[in-house]
Amino acid sequence: MFRNNYDNDAVTFSPQGRIFQVEYAQEAVKQGSVVVGLVNKTHAVLVGLKRNAEELSSYQKKIIEVDSHMGIAIAGLASDARVLSNYMKQQCLGSRMTYGRAMPVDRIVTQIADRAQTNTQQYGKRPYGVGLLVAGVDEAGPHLFEFQPSGMTQEMVACAIGARSQMARTYLERNLDQLNDSSRDELITHGLRALKETLSQDKELTVDNTSVGVVGLKHETGKVESFKLYEGQQLLPLLEALERSDVGETKEGETMEVDS
Amino acid sequence: MTSIGTGYDLSNSVFSPDGRNFQVEYAVKAVENGGTAVGIRCKDGVVLAVEKIITSKLLKPGANRRISTVDRHVGIVSAGLAPDGRHFVSRARDEASSWRSVYKGPIPISALANRLGSYVQAYTLYSSVRPFGVTSILGGWDSEAELAVDGQVGSGPQSGAGGKVKGAKSGGPGLYMIEPSGLYWGYYGAATGKGRQAAKAELEKLDLASEKLSLHDAVKEAARIIYVAHEDNKDKEFELEMSWISSLEGPTKGRHEEVPKELLEEAERAARRALEGDDEDEEEGAKGNEQMEE
Amino acid sequence: MNHFPGTWGRPRDDVYGPYDSSYLRSTGPKAHTQSPAVTGTSVIAVKFNGGVAIAADNLASYGSLARFTDVKRLRVFGDAAVVGFSGDVSDMQYIDRLLESMDIRENYSAHGNQLNAKNLHTYLSKVLYKRRSEFNPLWNHILVAGFDGEKKPFLSSADLLGTTFSAPHLATGFGAHLAIPILRRLFPEERPIEEITKEDAIKALKECLKVLWYRDARSLDKYSLAVITQEGIEVQEDQQIEAQSWAFAETIKGYGAQTV
Repeated sequence: MFRNNYDNDAVTFSPQGRIFQVEYAQEAVKQGSVVVGLVNKTHAVLVGLKRNAEELSSYQKKIIEVDSHMGIAIAGLASDARVLSNYMKQQCLGSRMTYGRAMPVDRIVTQIADRAQTNTQQYGKRPYGVGLLVAGVDEAGPHLFEFQPSGMTQEMVACAIGARSQMARTYLERNLDQLNDSSRDELITHGLRALKETLSQDKELTVDNTSVGVVGLKHETGKVESFKLYEGQQLLPLLEALERSDVGETKEGETMEVDS
Repeated sequence: MTSIGTGYDLSNSVFSPDGRNFQVEYAVKAVENGGTAVGIRCKDGVVLAVEKIITSKLLKPGANRRISTVDRHVGIVSAGLAPDGRHFVSRARDEASSWRSVYKGPIPISALANRLGSYVQAYTLYSSVRPFGVTSILGGWDSEAELAVDGQVGSGPQSGAGGKVKGAKSGGPGLYMIEPSGLYWGYYGAATGKGRQAAKAELEKLDLASEKLSLHDAVKEAARIIYVAHEDNKDKEFELEMSWISSLEGPTKGRHEEVPKELLEEAERAARRALEGDDEDEEEGAKGNEQMEE
Repeated sequence: MNHFPGTWGRPRDDVYGPYDSSYLRSTGPKAHTQSPAVTGTSVIAVKFNGGVAIAADNLASYGSLARFTDVKRLRVFGDAAVVGFSGDVSDMQYIDRLLESMDIRENYSAHGNQLNAKNLHTYLSKVLYKRRSEFNPLWNHILVAGFDGEKKPFLSSADLLGTTFSAPHLATGFGAHLAIPILRRLFPEERPIEEITKEDAIKALKECLKVLWYRDARSLDKYSLAVITQEGIEVQEDQQIEAQSWAFAETIKGYGAQTV
């Protein structure tokens, strides 16, 4: 079998100018279970699908609160994510300590991106094997960033990473116009529906395998609505809202068929 | 690529028998796939422009800026691996700020280009690192005014020793392009990235060395050149991002800033018009040829 | 003259006593700055309806010598705040450079998330406190004027120990003794800030500067005055104290060649 000589470390370019070790790290992200993020004018939402190792084991942690105005969703190596999220937590606390101000979202994202880049340019290091969705609010409003092991970060309107995330992205692209004007609760429902698209036939979203994180600006005051993580029984109303919207959707679909 | 398989291209800092460092050449390949970036230097300022290919509909429009401010008077745009570009910019910012802490004033563009050239070159020397996968265009304005030293609280004597020679000139525009090898040159017009060949051809037509082009016209030319360079890549949509640095009398007062939205849109409209005009010419030309063949 | 050329031209021990070389001692505890060198005197500031006014004279003294007479002790930070410095001028220059580099950092990205005066005050007080904890203080007493996160006028002080204090009107140095009583009389506690106009504030500051010029021997009749409102920052440098009257000096007894 052909042996690729250029994929042993992150400090070797292939003749095409690619760095295979970084590309392989991106594969690790695709092995992780899917997470979805999306924003409207006031809120940023993260939703994630949690796996359990076996029937009786607990489920993974997919969404982590970083500070009261920011959270991340992870896909890939959870231990790498922990290193990054600890760093983010410290930096955010540092900002509150020295300036009395919440860390701007783009700045913390740039900082972890720069750390990740370093790991792709020095021998003896390896790229992080995790992708992140960073959701938060600052003076400029709500934000969603995608972070990749390459150190690439992009601000997105909506995004999904992890296994079978393409289905979620397709859903998000199709409903992009609705996202911006949606309400807080509608945005969560859109997130859950995007997540649902990625499930294989025999699976469904339950209070055990779903995780939702919301952060935003309060409608009336414009003040920060602190990051809230919904897990377990707290998810019931959100999943019910999802179900209701599904019913509405199918009805609509049926009538349209009749029309045509 | 005859080199592949000979083993001399597997590690950085290793020369092949014919004196090449293949890892650096491969880094250049990474640059050649990046969105086109150009810089134009004119008498009263510098313009930087970059073509940002829209890789996903989910990207937030207008966000994700690719041109960075290094110090008040300097900007950088890179083509190639974006994370490497950011590393490069962060080094540039450190250099600019360390210059300030030593010399109590803004770093001259030439000095910054020199230091960054050295930095990039160092990444070709060791097998423990890889070269930068970016070519960066550095644009800025050295102030023509007699600047106060950072932190200065009053002024010295108005006359006598230390007085300035009348009519002596200082300051002005600076434009440099730094390659993965660490090589850099000063330019009147610089282009890198995927569409650099087309962009260079357009830049050469502008006769920039005569310094007749105004900054405002340079903004429009830069926009047009990015549009021209994008022609070979037409199936993909792109966003145009531009920044500029003018003289102290000019619109940005010696600072590196985004080109204002209105001017950017005007330049884009003009660029599209110019392209449409070209297409029509070509079509007419083609028709003419057919007739002649008949 | 004796036969020891090393002592020629030196103060004679029999006349001046033995030379005290203790300051050249290289062993023993390390001592940092024990006193300021070139100093600026009072800074005074008043909050008014919709902003803050702040003033300081243009003098830097070297001990009792009026060494520099065109020193600007009000430093503008971006379009957010004005910092007034009393105390050591070289430490002020150092802090000014800190602020300068921070301003450059803050403007790497142009969109939102600017530091306000309150953030700046938090930062500066942390810098001052850190340095005093290293027993190497920055010998300044500063006033920070501007707006806080809620867009309300902000005025607060921080001194070389890192102590912070906030009030509707503040003064440092000699002004704390001479200007504060005047300001308290003009703007008593029960008078709401909303009733104080910009003109009132400026007039009061000018009055205080005049009294300081009369009675503080380390002051000057040239001064700078800055007014911060939502519209922006207006700084006037090289102002002159007007309508001086030294008639009161006749009545002052207790110094000079008076015979009561």
